[in-house]
Amino acid sequence: MIEQYIMSVFIYVCIYIILTLSLNISLGYTGLINLGHIALFGIGAYSSTLLMMNLDLPFIISFLSAGIITSLFGLLLVFATKKLKGDYFALATLGFSFVIYSLLLNLVGLTRGPLGIPGIPKPSFFGITLTTTFSYLLFAIFITALCVFIIYKIVHSPFGRLLQATRDDEIGLRVLGKNTNLLKYKSMMISAFFAAIAGSLFAHYITFIDPTSFVLHEVILLLTMVIVGGIASFKGSIIAPFIIILIPELLRFLSIPSAILGPMRQIIYAFILLLILYYKPRGLFGRVDLA
Amino acid sequence: MVFTQLLINSLIIGSIYALVAAGFSLIYATNKFLHLAHGVCITVGAYLLFLLFTQLNISFPIACILTIILTSLFGLCLYLLIYRPLQKKKTSSVILLIASLGLLILFQNIIQLFFGANVRSLGYLRIEHGLTIFGAIITKLQIIIMCVAILLFIGLLFFMKKTKLGRDMRAVADNKELASIVGINPKKVAIYSFLIGSALAGVAGILIGLEQNMEPTMGTELMIKGFTGAIIGGIGTVAGAIPGSYMLGIAENFGIWYLPSGYKDAIAFILLFIFLLFKPEGLFGVVKGVKE
Repeated sequence: MIEQYIMSVFIYVCIYIILTLSLNISLGYTGLINLGHIALFGIGAYSSTLLMMNLDLPFIISFLSAGIITSLFGLLLVFATKKLKGDYFALATLGFSFVIYSLLLNLVGLTRGPLGIPGIPKPSFFGITLTTTFSYLLFAIFITALCVFIIYKIVHSPFGRLLQATRDDEIGLRVLGKNTNLLKYKSMMISAFFAAIAGSLFAHYITFIDPTSFVLHEVILLLTMVIVGGIASFKGSIIAPFIIILIPELLRFLSIPSAILGPMRQIIYAFILLLILYYKPRGLFGRVDLA
Repeated sequence: MVFTQLLINSLIIGSIYALVAAGFSLIYATNKFLHLAHGVCITVGAYLLFLLFTQLNISFPIACILTIILTSLFGLCLYLLIYRPLQKKKTSSVILLIASLGLLILFQNIIQLFFGANVRSLGYLRIEHGLTIFGAIITKLQIIIMCVAILLFIGLLFFMKKTKLGRDMRAVADNKELASIVGINPKKVAIYSFLIGSALAGVAGILIGLEQNMEPTMGTELMIKGFTGAIIGGIGTVAGAIPGSYMLGIAENFGIWYLPSGYKDAIAFILLFIFLLFKPEGLFGVVKGVKE
């Protein structure tokens, strides 16, 4: 029983490592103040689920298609908001997450609305179905390692440096003849793709999704992870999910009733976020400020 | 029949949105960051009234006055204890926005911890038959909501136009550096804007607590509507935020004439998005600082 619990905690850590890294691509490396990342996570979870359940597509195909669909949503978001900056961009991305949330809630024919979608099939490929938690954990670790490797390659490539240059000096980069809008689109698409991978891992693990998993306060958790780890810090985005997920899990051992546990967890996240913003706004391993 | 009913419903909810938006806009205009935790001030207002009136049995008018004062001080504390120290470290407005989001979630959950996630009701007014005006039904409370809101707006606009402090506020909103050169203290202006803005949130909390029920997440929902109203009207202008919020009320209520009622919230979000994309300065705002 306890092994099951520990394994499930580590599956969450894997999911959040991918999510934090993916948010750090847009928020940290490119400097797009993206507060709507949770919506992209949700779109990924729903698209993978619906493709697999409604169209009977094999897992691998729906898994990857979810990434592509979500990256198109990401593109739509930055394309539409390309003229906005600072607070207004942040507000637009926040608005985007509300729009997606209410669509998930109201497109009852597609998403079953507030009832959610139960019985999401476990991943299966080459005739193997991942029924046990242990096999899912191995799968999650494999996918996470793959994502970490790819994202590492991306952010440390010349393209990754261009993204950072877009954040630091957009006008300067334009003077050098680079199309910064195009860089932002690409960054957001990559970010959204990995958010969808995380969403899909999440959906196929808990086998039930409803719109409440993708609402506003989940954004706080993501922002806390990115900021605690550090803006544009690769190492930080891997370490922070461990810290942020494991701290509230310790509360479980104090036998606190679940009605208190839920809000306590959110209070801890919000509190950590405020403390880090005040005392160490660059996070544990960050090198740059969020401007 | 349906038309007048929808119009009246729009004006009632528009009044509440406008109270939220006016406070939010006032704080944004003088401080230049998005104080999303304004939403939690509404929740604090509603629950304070619940605590003072229902639990401590203080008489209703006194409980209301205390609620407004305490909510106003709560807003000021947020400014002095959180935002001001952050501003002193020269943090960007985006960090303040993220901090305000953190505060919103923090206090929403603290309230949930103390009062539970259940819906609470004040139980001050008995359920009564509404009056019928032009075929539309309206309760006395709803008339009071509209009158209180309109009186407060007139008072607020008069204050902004005619008093020394109001003029100082508009000066700081327009150009902070220039205002401090001519001897206006921006810190004092910021303190007063938080006091007044949060007091308005307290009033909104009381009214919504009387009209509907209360739950810990109510503030977040109203906050979204409030800033949508503020953006429609033009976020830096208090005078614009008020008509903007009434328009939002009208759009929501008339929208569900055609769409299923579940889309009521979606209408607000889509309107928010459309305005941010095509007219971020709002209907009555100025273009400054919005676009590149």
